[in-house]
Amino acid sequence: MSYFPWLTILVVLPIFAGSLIFFLPHKGNKIVRWYTISICLLEFLLMTYAFCYHFQLEDPLIQLKEDYKWIDVFDFHWRLGIDGLSLGSILLTGFITTLATLAAWPITRNSRLFYFLMLAMYSGQIGLFSSRDLLLFFIMWELELIPVYLLLSMWGGKRRLYSATKFILYTAGGSIFFLIGVLGMGLYGSNEPGLDLERLINQSYPATLEILLYFGFLIAYAVKLPIIPLHTWLPDTHGEAHYSTCMLLAGILLKMGAYGLIRINMELLPHAHYLFSPWLVIIGAIQIIYAALTSLGQRNFKKRIAYSSVSHMGFIIIGIGSITNIGLNGAILQILSHGFIGATLFFLAGTASDRMRLVYLEELGGISIPMPKIFTMFSSFSMASLALPGMSGFVAELVVFFGLITSPKFLLMPKALITFVMAIGMILTPIYLLSMLRQMFYGYKLFNVPNANFVDSGPRELFILICIFLPVIGIGIYPDFVLSLSVDRVEALLSNYYPK
Amino acid sequence: MEHTYQYAWVIPLLPLPVIMSMGFGLILIPTATKNLRRIWAFPSVLLLSIAMVFSVQLSIQQINGSSIYQYLWSWTVNNDFSLEFGYLIDPLTSIMLILITTVGILVLIYSDGYMSHDEGYLRFFVYISFFNTSMLGLVTSSNLIQIYFFWELVGMCSYLLIGFWFTRPIAASACQKAFVTNRVGDFGLLLGILGFFWITGSLEFRDLFQIANNWIPNNGINSLLTTLCAFLLFLGAVAKSAQFPLHVWLPDAMEGPTPISALIHAATMVAAGIFLLARLLPLFISLPLIMSFISLVGTITLFLGATLALAQRDIKRSLAYSTMSQLGYMMLALGIGSYQAALFHLITHAYSKALLFLGSGSVIHSMEPLVGYSPDKSQNMVLMGGLRKYIPITRTTFLWGTLSLCGIPPLACFWSKDEILSNSWLYSPFFGIIASFTAGLTAFYMFRIYLLTFGGYLRVHFQNYSSTKESSLYSISLWGKRIPKGVNRDFVLSTTKSGVSFFSQNIPKIQGNTRNRIGSFTTSFGAKNTFAYPHETGNTMLFPLLILLLFTLFIGFIGISFDNGGMDNGIAELTILSKWLTPSKNFTQESSNSFVNSYEFITNAISSVTLAIFGLFIAYIFYGSAYSFFQNLDLINSFVKRNPKKEFLDQVKKNIYSWSYNRGYIDIFYTRVFTLGIRGLTELTEFFDKGVIDGITNGVGLASFCIGEEIKYVGGGRISSYLFFFLCYVSVFLFFFLS
Repeated sequence: MSYFPWLTILVVLPIFAGSLIFFLPHKGNKIVRWYTISICLLEFLLMTYAFCYHFQLEDPLIQLKEDYKWIDVFDFHWRLGIDGLSLGSILLTGFITTLATLAAWPITRNSRLFYFLMLAMYSGQIGLFSSRDLLLFFIMWELELIPVYLLLSMWGGKRRLYSATKFILYTAGGSIFFLIGVLGMGLYGSNEPGLDLERLINQSYPATLEILLYFGFLIAYAVKLPIIPLHTWLPDTHGEAHYSTCMLLAGILLKMGAYGLIRINMELLPHAHYLFSPWLVIIGAIQIIYAALTSLGQRNFKKRIAYSSVSHMGFIIIGIGSITNIGLNGAILQILSHGFIGATLFFLAGTASDRMRLVYLEELGGISIPMPKIFTMFSSFSMASLALPGMSGFVAELVVFFGLITSPKFLLMPKALITFVMAIGMILTPIYLLSMLRQMFYGYKLFNVPNANFVDSGPRELFILICIFLPVIGIGIYPDFVLSLSVDRVEALLSNYYPK
Repeated sequence: MEHTYQYAWVIPLLPLPVIMSMGFGLILIPTATKNLRRIWAFPSVLLLSIAMVFSVQLSIQQINGSSIYQYLWSWTVNNDFSLEFGYLIDPLTSIMLILITTVGILVLIYSDGYMSHDEGYLRFFVYISFFNTSMLGLVTSSNLIQIYFFWELVGMCSYLLIGFWFTRPIAASACQKAFVTNRVGDFGLLLGILGFFWITGSLEFRDLFQIANNWIPNNGINSLLTTLCAFLLFLGAVAKSAQFPLHVWLPDAMEGPTPISALIHAATMVAAGIFLLARLLPLFISLPLIMSFISLVGTITLFLGATLALAQRDIKRSLAYSTMSQLGYMMLALGIGSYQAALFHLITHAYSKALLFLGSGSVIHSMEPLVGYSPDKSQNMVLMGGLRKYIPITRTTFLWGTLSLCGIPPLACFWSKDEILSNSWLYSPFFGIIASFTAGLTAFYMFRIYLLTFGGYLRVHFQNYSSTKESSLYSISLWGKRIPKGVNRDFVLSTTKSGVSFFSQNIPKIQGNTRNRIGSFTTSFGAKNTFAYPHETGNTMLFPLLILLLFTLFIGFIGISFDNGGMDNGIAELTILSKWLTPSKNFTQESSNSFVNSYEFITNAISSVTLAIFGLFIAYIFYGSAYSFFQNLDLINSFVKRNPKKEFLDQVKKNIYSWSYNRGYIDIFYTRVFTLGIRGLTELTEFFDKGVIDGITNGVGLASFCIGEEIKYVGGGRISSYLFFFLCYVSVFLFFFLS
């Protein structure tokens, strides 16, 4: 097999090509748009090609490894590599970012910077999902924040500065703990610092230190994922950001937290995870109910969707906390599934509210008559979000349920109780989603909004929607398609927990 | 022989291509697709007919060969967890297949006529075909997860169809109510499935039954858990089949177009719950507690449904409550273990109810040009009456349907209901009394509907009274009190403004018929008060009615025992149905209380028919002569005048009416408790989220801002303040140091 640095190219290409945007001739937005979209597409195709031909699914080890020495003083390497866990996330990143770029078509103000930031984010995300060095992981994690902050504070809504500041403070606050964890892990034990994930897997720590490290990482992920009570940045951010940014935030950024939780906490700190997992499951169950109830009380429908995202993240936490093969697969499936569904819901909400220039539910009503296509797609994705069978959300949630009840770690009564609470969330989800649909679309209300631009979604928007709809249906009907990516890797990961 | 079984998986998939092409056509090229319109209806009917032919063939093979066929594909493969998709063809499935396909085809044909002027004609066909598909998928499922899969799809289709006229706020809340109520059932179903998976480690029906039968008698300890799981499964059936605590969605589901009501009430939605219980009966039968609970719920439902049906004004809503009551009968039959009677009643009731609903649709269709398109008016029986002159065919079919549902001998429902009644008497006299009494009530309310709709004279001119003069006397005594609408229909978080005028409620629907509508309003509100008369509906709508009439007349014979043939063998059960169901019955241990001899049968029959005729008679007394004062506009409630001594009786009657008209106050109770409870909880969490969690964050931000300002102020570079602080510190230092 010829050696070719696929991953480095994948990581570097978007940001490099993005920086070339500033050298493009000033001839309107069109050229920038097409340039960006073609870069995204190229990246996505490259990615697919590389994974098709240079990646063996059966192999649970890290593949496409690269290792270059970067800073010699503290043994910092440019280490990349992927396995079944990160594969799905990287593909999701490529897919969603490409579509988000397409969704950002109407942006005209300062579009060069905007598209550059999108591409920078692209790089950061792929870098995060494919890094095999703890410090590199941290750097990518931080690199991600800057574009989001700028995107939020420059292209957001009315309260964009407040929410951008909130976002950056929350995540930077979480990152401190992350950094402490990284340093603690790297400097522990041997004399020279070791940040290679490969090597860290085999390292063992004293129990207290492990718990402390675990907790530090958990806080960083809890901000990102988000886990209650560190979630309040999310509704504000999603309520204000432009919808293409929202797509990236909901589709990928939140998943970074879940990915980190699996990649670092589960893999490197198994004992602490074993101790913490009941708490994770309990928090997950509470989060499902709590966020669903809070969502019901939101008047702004973007915030309502944001809380629904928070609620769905509960399933990921429970899947991770269940420490079973099935549960973890379910969590990974939910990562992908919510990546599709959440991103699309924000896209739809954004396009609808841009047309109406209204965000409060009680002001809306009856917009299904002028916009039947948006209505159809909104209904479809709401159904997907409330876990209708045949769509990906259902499979993911069902698999998480099965994972929880087959978990050998928990006793019968707690398991039954948690399952019961999760199932209550299943009743609350349709209440808030369908009442949102009803208040937005049903009825016949006539508007007195001046200049309301009641145009149904055009071919570009419809293309984005259908592009996302197909995988949602596809995963729902044949989940093996995605599960096969991660099954072997998950099994290898869990073998640490239950030695046979 | 075998090859038909191999291709049985086609049945649920058959209508899919049309659905998909129509759906994509509607999204991508709406105008072109809409221009084709009726051309689309043809392939959907055709494909469903092919499915019907398939299922008829399967059933014939089931009757002859009686084999159970199962085939599985793996769906998700994991090392220790596999979900499988497959199909299971057994007698129950084949019966359900025939039922769904026949009713489905007739409803499709009917809706071609009914919806022909609607804007959403194609959308309607997409939904309705998908509804049929998911129901077909449900009955051919071979494991619980697959059942759940299609179960939810059926729920979604009902959501879409009930909210079909989405511009009506009432329809919008009705569909949400239906979905959420069903979701409560799904919640139970899912938990039950998970519980059984945990107990037995399998989701296949046949493994499940085997394990359960071997396991439950041996392990006494976990039987509590098993009972709990079975109860949760039953909860799913309760919601889908509109049994007592979760029946609230069914009458509201009448907001959908009438063909849908027919489909929901006959073949698809509510049959799903009965089907699930019938499918899992081998499991339930070993849990006597659950069985008695099922029969109790059935009894409560059948009685409640009948009482609620007594005073409804809306023709469809009365029929809905009657469905609820009949479903209670089926549930009761299942609960007392007479599997065959329940299925028999499901079939006969399906055809009769489909007939009645399609008939009521025809009535509504003929009334609409006269009274306007609001369901408050076109479905209001106050404004009907005397239609027998104008729409004779509909009237005839409706009459036969009514008689069948009342249980008059040669018609379909008589045979099945009689079987249930006699079985319930044998099981427990308490259930027997209630069931028989309700049979009388059934006759009463069904005949009430018939008489109000077709008897007497046309009362279209009463609409001025019903809409403007709210408290005209007859509306209190006969129709129950009119209650403010806001309480009644205020469902979960609805912000529907009540007091919406009915003119604008259905914007898309009236577009086809605008001229007609305007014409009707000018006539009905005009000074001259001359109005047109209702007309019989078109052929596409009458044809399904006539076919269903045939079914109603003759379907009963598949369950009739032919005694002369049976006596020779010593077994009296030679009915087609029982032969059909033989393999299923092996494990149900049917109590051998079926018609052992004809004498017992005749006595049972006589008693039930007597009850039914008594009900009919009372209905005639109440409503048959009622038109005499309806026609007289300025008559002050002749009822009271005629019987001045019966004030107490009148009071009782009024109470019954208001109980019935207010739906037993159950909806109001739910609104008060659950809706407001959830709202309260929501406010609490939102306050917590905003006030506490976000408050801490903002507080920290604000505090750091203040501290920063403070420091900025202190370090502002003013020499005087520096000197001041310096002197302060020096003096303090000196003070402490020196003293």
